[in-house]
Amino acid sequence: MATVTITDLRKTFGKTKAVDGISVDIDNGEFFVILGPSGAGKTTTLKSVAGLIDVDGGTVTIGGTDVTRVEPYHRNVAMAFESYALYPQKTVSDNLASPLKSGRTGKYTEGQRTERIDQVTTTLGINHLLKRFPRELSNGQRQRVALGRVLVRPADIYLLDEPLSHLDAKLRAAMRAELKQLGGMSNTTTLYVTHDYQEALALGDRIAVMREGRLVQIGTPEEIWRRPADTFVARALGQPEINLVDGLVDDDRIRLGDGSFDVPVPANVRCDRGDLVRVGLRPCDIHVADPNTAAIRGRVMLAERLGRDVELTVDVAGTQVIVLASGREGVGEGATVGLTVADSDIHVFASGEGDTPRLEAASTLEVAQ
Amino acid sequence: MAKQELLPGQKRFSIGGAAADVGLVFWFIFSLFPIAWMLLLALKNDQQQTTTYFQFSPTWSNFATVVSDKGTQMTSVDFKASLITSLINCGGAVIVSLVIGIPAAYAAGRWRYRGSEDLMFQMLSFRFAPELMVIVPLFVIYNQIGLFDTKVGMIWVLQLVTMPLVVWILRSYFQDLPEDLEQAALLDGYTRKRAFLMVALPMVRPGIAAAALLAFIFAWNNYVFPLILADTSAGTVTVAITKFLGGGGQAYYNLTAAAAIIAALPPLILALTIQRYLVRGLSFGAVKA
Repeated sequence: MATVTITDLRKTFGKTKAVDGISVDIDNGEFFVILGPSGAGKTTTLKSVAGLIDVDGGTVTIGGTDVTRVEPYHRNVAMAFESYALYPQKTVSDNLASPLKSGRTGKYTEGQRTERIDQVTTTLGINHLLKRFPRELSNGQRQRVALGRVLVRPADIYLLDEPLSHLDAKLRAAMRAELKQLGGMSNTTTLYVTHDYQEALALGDRIAVMREGRLVQIGTPEEIWRRPADTFVARALGQPEINLVDGLVDDDRIRLGDGSFDVPVPANVRCDRGDLVRVGLRPCDIHVADPNTAAIRGRVMLAERLGRDVELTVDVAGTQVIVLASGREGVGEGATVGLTVADSDIHVFASGEGDTPRLEAASTLEVAQ
Repeated sequence: MAKQELLPGQKRFSIGGAAADVGLVFWFIFSLFPIAWMLLLALKNDQQQTTTYFQFSPTWSNFATVVSDKGTQMTSVDFKASLITSLINCGGAVIVSLVIGIPAAYAAGRWRYRGSEDLMFQMLSFRFAPELMVIVPLFVIYNQIGLFDTKVGMIWVLQLVTMPLVVWILRSYFQDLPEDLEQAALLDGYTRKRAFLMVALPMVRPGIAAAALLAFIFAWNNYVFPLILADTSAGTVTVAITKFLGGGGQAYYNLTAAAAIIAALPPLILALTIQRYLVRGLSFGAVKA
């Protein structure tokens, strides 16, 4: 158990800035998720905390002690690698015993080791695999062994690098639930790296969204979901992706597309008449309504059933809007539908090239840089 | 007529394929001919040794002569002793190369620093020049510091042949090894040295076997260094073989062939012994592909 403080961390590989000035404070016992696309610098950040990378600049502090130049084996951190990194010549049992035998994670008798390994393998459902070698395991089993090697030992910090990425969808959902309980049980500060927004939202006490070596936004899942700091964060969360439509502010309305439909300016957004803005509407926040009463009307171009829900591509005066509708509505292709959005579900961003920031009173946002 | 179904792995007859097979057989005969000729020559007696037809009365006596006192008297070199010397020289060179070369290869494979490539290249540069180019200065130096015709001197010079080989072969093995494994060991609480011994080293065993075998063969077959830098007490078997060709007296091609066959046995036996360690794929299952 320990706090982690990362200050202005920098690491360059050749000409690529893998991590470009990251600062973050992680509380004791917090489950902290780093979310980002591949190549964002998530693993580099994690390995810097572990001490496996010589950082170019900045400091890493664990439990109040500066460990930037401390060898990994003195840091008392445990890490699950995305590549599993199981010792191929050792059985599952010996792999799990390895951290207990090094002498740096405490002294254990043979019996205590067995007990710990039993406990963790039972939790992870791999206690029937103890005598096997890593090459005899499926990817999902290997991943659980890798996770087991982390959980079997006491550590100040757990570092988990995409620990669920190779599990199949069902097992991943089950493990996600279990992991949350495990984290709560052991109360160990955990840094969790993932590219899966659902994992991040479900597991994280706080989430840091990372892009091109920088932290774009840090916040609770609620904050990240409700108030994305920019269009990148907005697009990173949610499936199907958020609708982004350019518009023009006209008094207290924002005219969208060619101006033939509009949404109100939300209460906490500061913008003036004549401003160009970009409006974000999550597909799940748009509701299908009676076309005669709803303010926005459109024609359904495409309806894809995704099980419980139906993904509708609606043409609203030439602008295509994705809507996630309940399958019970029974809306078919070609139908004319009305669309409604709650004012609080309207996200307003600045207009311009690339990813643009959210327009909102700055005090309500915790922005990383 | 219906086409006959082929079993899995079965191939239809083709003229191109047959021609390739015939070509390969001819190439095989051609490349093995010197060895076959040497075997035949080793079985001929002194009178028939220069005949070129295959009719002769075979005898095993040449092998006995080579290792007997008679052979020693003929060449003034004890062939058996030179075999032992060769084993000591080459074994010593390989051991020195492995003890120093394995950590060197690991360091070279894992850490890049300014000039690391130049350093590796410099190691190899000795192998670019013909050995004869360096032999004169080496001879002078060896004479002055008393290494001439000593086993230590021979191990030292043969190590120059084997070390670059070991380092270059093993470096690529270490580079192929995923770094995550050693990093996992570091986080398990092991020092870098123990991570190397516990994780990296066992996984490059096939590489070590291959490098050691190649190094041994190169050292064993080296001729120029022992010819110039050694005499009776550190002379190797490669030099001893040629003594049967006679210095001015009669040339015994049959004895030379017999000696060459005996000299070829140790590397052959070594290769067969460590063959099973040469299998790759030990790292399979450690990390995802």
